[in-house]
Amino acid sequence: MSVEFFKRLGWFVALCLVQVLILNHIHLFDVAIPLLYVYFTITFRRGTPKWMILLWSFALGLAIDVFSNTPGLVSGSLTLIAVIQPYLLELFVPRDSAENLEASISTLGLGKFVIFCVILLMIYCLAFFALEAFSFYNWQYWLTCAGASLLLTLVLVMAIESVRAK
Amino acid sequence: MSNLLDFLRKYHHWLLFVLLEVVSVVLLFNYNSYQGSVWLSSANVAVGKMYELESDVTSFFSMTRANEELTLRNFYLERQVDQLRRLYTEVTHDTTVIERQELQFLSQYKLIPAKVVANTVHKPDNLITIDKGAADGVEVNMGVACGNGVVGVVYLVSEHYAVVIPALNTSMSRISCSIRNSNYFGYLHWNGGDPAIAFLEDVPRHARFKKGEWVVTSGYSSIFPSGVLVGQIEKVFNSADGLSYKLQLRLSTDFSCLRDVCVISDKRVGEQVKLLEAARDSMALTNRDR
Repeated sequence: MSVEFFKRLGWFVALCLVQVLILNHIHLFDVAIPLLYVYFTITFRRGTPKWMILLWSFALGLAIDVFSNTPGLVSGSLTLIAVIQPYLLELFVPRDSAENLEASISTLGLGKFVIFCVILLMIYCLAFFALEAFSFYNWQYWLTCAGASLLLTLVLVMAIESVRAK
Repeated sequence: MSNLLDFLRKYHHWLLFVLLEVVSVVLLFNYNSYQGSVWLSSANVAVGKMYELESDVTSFFSMTRANEELTLRNFYLERQVDQLRRLYTEVTHDTTVIERQELQFLSQYKLIPAKVVANTVHKPDNLITIDKGAADGVEVNMGVACGNGVVGVVYLVSEHYAVVIPALNTSMSRISCSIRNSNYFGYLHWNGGDPAIAFLEDVPRHARFKKGEWVVTSGYSSIFPSGVLVGQIEKVFNSADGLSYKLQLRLSTDFSCLRDVCVISDKRVGEQVKLLEAARDSMALTNRDR
């Protein structure tokens, strides 16, 4: 088991605990929920086998679902992001960069990293709230929730990134 | 053939993706299936233990307020019992009747105290997890109440934890209530939004009641004894078809800071349920023979 595996495991446990113990109870203005665990999928290195990204993300989603009593919700949305992430990362990396580049502010530059995160988070939030509200379909509420959660999560991701960059 | 194998080898992660998405969607749609969902819900031992540890820490901070509320409520109830006892003695000249009736009432019900370890109030379908399970005598469809009023009905039970459907659940909550001192009854509905407001529907138009009157459980289901507080009448609306009233209630239980609850186990429920089933079966038989 490599160092990389244990680092991934550490992030897995930390993000899962923070989400279920603290962030799941935050509902700003009744619409915004911070969804910090998507950061796990965003930071997969370029070149990791795609099946590994899928399995890790599915496992994290399932763990959070078991704690929040919503089986299938987070795992379904996170798997969707996991399949898109490697292809999207390829679009953003600068020419001749490292083979195992990890997406962050220092490697991609602030602007590109923000756009990368926004795209992934936007798809995630739209999928998450669409799956959640399956029974009562009210599209303005859906868009408001997705947009507000996107902004809140982006703020938290930027916070973590600025700490890691130091 | 080798082209096909090459294709599969190159794109095998898409197959994995489809497989994982199918699993997620199956989980999403099957959550209402009873057997499969016990281990995947928060009645799971590992999850329950973790929530228990967390709530031990957080409840420490709300201990003083809970104590004050309980002391006030105890004081109020003692005054009430005292006054009623004096009035009763004046009328019947019998001073031991309260003790005898108390023992008789309590012998039918067994109360299992429990603590809430996980709770939500903002979703349309909320669920509560408590730290008592099958090993402590909790069974599915037992009623759960707290010091201030009714909480809900037990839905799933594992060895040491249970998941309760509270009144704050738009799709599955069915608590039968009646207006205190009258026999008019209806079912409690919650439509989302404010966790302190719920509605009592199908109250007949000839019913007499006032705003501020208490609504309690009717005792018509085998789940709750009669008289457990539900809430106070706040506003009266006409129902959608105009044939009955819809009462807006302010719930007496504060769901957002729920900690100590009691599971009510009625010893005579088994007998009541069997009798009802026997009656239904015999009616079905007579209808068939006709």
